[in-house]
Amino acid sequence: MRVKVDPDVCQGHTLCNLAAPHVFLLREDDGHAYVAAAEVPPDQEDLVRKAVATCPEGAISIDEAGEAGA
Amino acid sequence: MTTDDRVVIDFDQHSPDYREAYPEISHEIRNQCPAAWSERYGGYWIISGRDLIGEMAKHPDLLSNDHDPLGVRQGYGGVAIPSPVGGTNRGGFLEMDPPEQLEYRHVLNPFLSPAAVERWRPMVRDLTRACLDEVIESGHIDFVDDMANVVPAVLTMGLLGLPLVDWVIYCEPAHAMVYTPPHSPEFSRVLEGAIRMGAHLSEAMVTARTRPRPGMIRALIEAQNSGAAFSDDDIQGTLVLLIGGGFDTTTSLTAHALDWLDRHPAQRGPLASDAALLDTATEEFVRFATPAQGGGRTITRDCEIAGHQFRSGERVWMSYALANHDRDAFDDPDEIVLDRFPNRHAAFGLGVHRCIGSNLARMTFKTMLGEVLARVPEYRCQEGGAVRYEDIGTINGYKHLPADFPAGEREGPPLSDVIAQWQHTLDSAEPAT
Repeated sequence: MRVKVDPDVCQGHTLCNLAAPHVFLLREDDGHAYVAAAEVPPDQEDLVRKAVATCPEGAISIDEAGEAGA
Repeated sequence: MTTDDRVVIDFDQHSPDYREAYPEISHEIRNQCPAAWSERYGGYWIISGRDLIGEMAKHPDLLSNDHDPLGVRQGYGGVAIPSPVGGTNRGGFLEMDPPEQLEYRHVLNPFLSPAAVERWRPMVRDLTRACLDEVIESGHIDFVDDMANVVPAVLTMGLLGLPLVDWVIYCEPAHAMVYTPPHSPEFSRVLEGAIRMGAHLSEAMVTARTRPRPGMIRALIEAQNSGAAFSDDDIQGTLVLLIGGGFDTTTSLTAHALDWLDRHPAQRGPLASDAALLDTATEEFVRFATPAQGGGRTITRDCEIAGHQFRSGERVWMSYALANHDRDAFDDPDEIVLDRFPNRHAAFGLGVHRCIGSNLARMTFKTMLGEVLARVPEYRCQEGGAVRYEDIGTINGYKHLPADFPAGEREGPPLSDVIAQWQHTLDSAEPAT
């Protein structure tokens, strides 16, 4: 699974970081989210799906099949 | 599209009917149409669908926050519905559009990020403990007057860079301006307090130019000095916005949660001992209460959003409160489910105007709630003692929430000493230049 946060849609609600703190990190200056790495470790996949479902802005997208370059 | 096509409902978020019927009223409105029209206040749309409100918030070019009481731009009415009569000032960056609005947020965001607010947690904890110490021997507390009004107010002073003791100057007017109806006999007295508050803020800005303390006021003035097009009026409007947003909303959230926990005492233990549950519960209390119930917008040109037609100049109330009870988005939305997650609530607003203090609100709320559950875990709210705001259309707040508990012993110094100690700590951390 691959994941990304659209920086133009994210508004810093921080709920993704609550769902999956190892995958979604928050910028020091404004709390907007970015991913630690685009490739999601298998044990984090369920948490990332929760993050997608809880993002109030719909800023997170995942590619379930996604190996690198998929 | 003509007016004939729209779903017209009898609705007024400032009415006693709304106060009594929220949140159940959400379903009735939402079922008629996620965008319905009320003829009140010159006519306005009520947006109650969770998906629709999210989509609309992505278009700040079509929905303007601008408030232009003097008519130098388009004459838009800003974020209050009805728009206040007789004002000349806009309410800081909340009543601006991008890119201007973003310049202010860029200056202020670093004070309010999750990392930044964490640095204030020790002060918030000390203040809360001191507030509880002040009443612990009596066995009685008004959770609003004795704690939830005090802690956010002192904290806001610290963030702004004002003397902490000045919280008393701003506290009463900041709350009373929100809950006192303009037609009530008390309003002239409330207005006097607000005018005193404005005068004090003007003085504080003068002081900040010569002897600045670290904080948001200094940051805004430094930005102005380095070329940002911030007028003195807009800086003052921004300070009033930060005081209003900083004081009243967290107070309201805390009162709602303590009132609910009074009726659900078995939930106190798990909340006190499980940090992960406190995290999800915080989002759930925010969703359920929606302290800031919504925000006004003005349509900038004829447009269609998600299949709904809007006309240039029409007013819109983005009802985060109603959207937070949309059954299409939340299972059992009228129940508080402490471990509800995912929880894509809209209580902090959506889009570019997301509540700038949301991280501060969470930290302050969790700290206050945690201390209450540690110090007075057996509190009982007094029967019939809770006094909610007469009008919850702006802030869904409480004036009073009195409670009793088994008396205990003080653990620390008086509140005034704690405030003085923290002032000393702040002053020594970064000397004023």
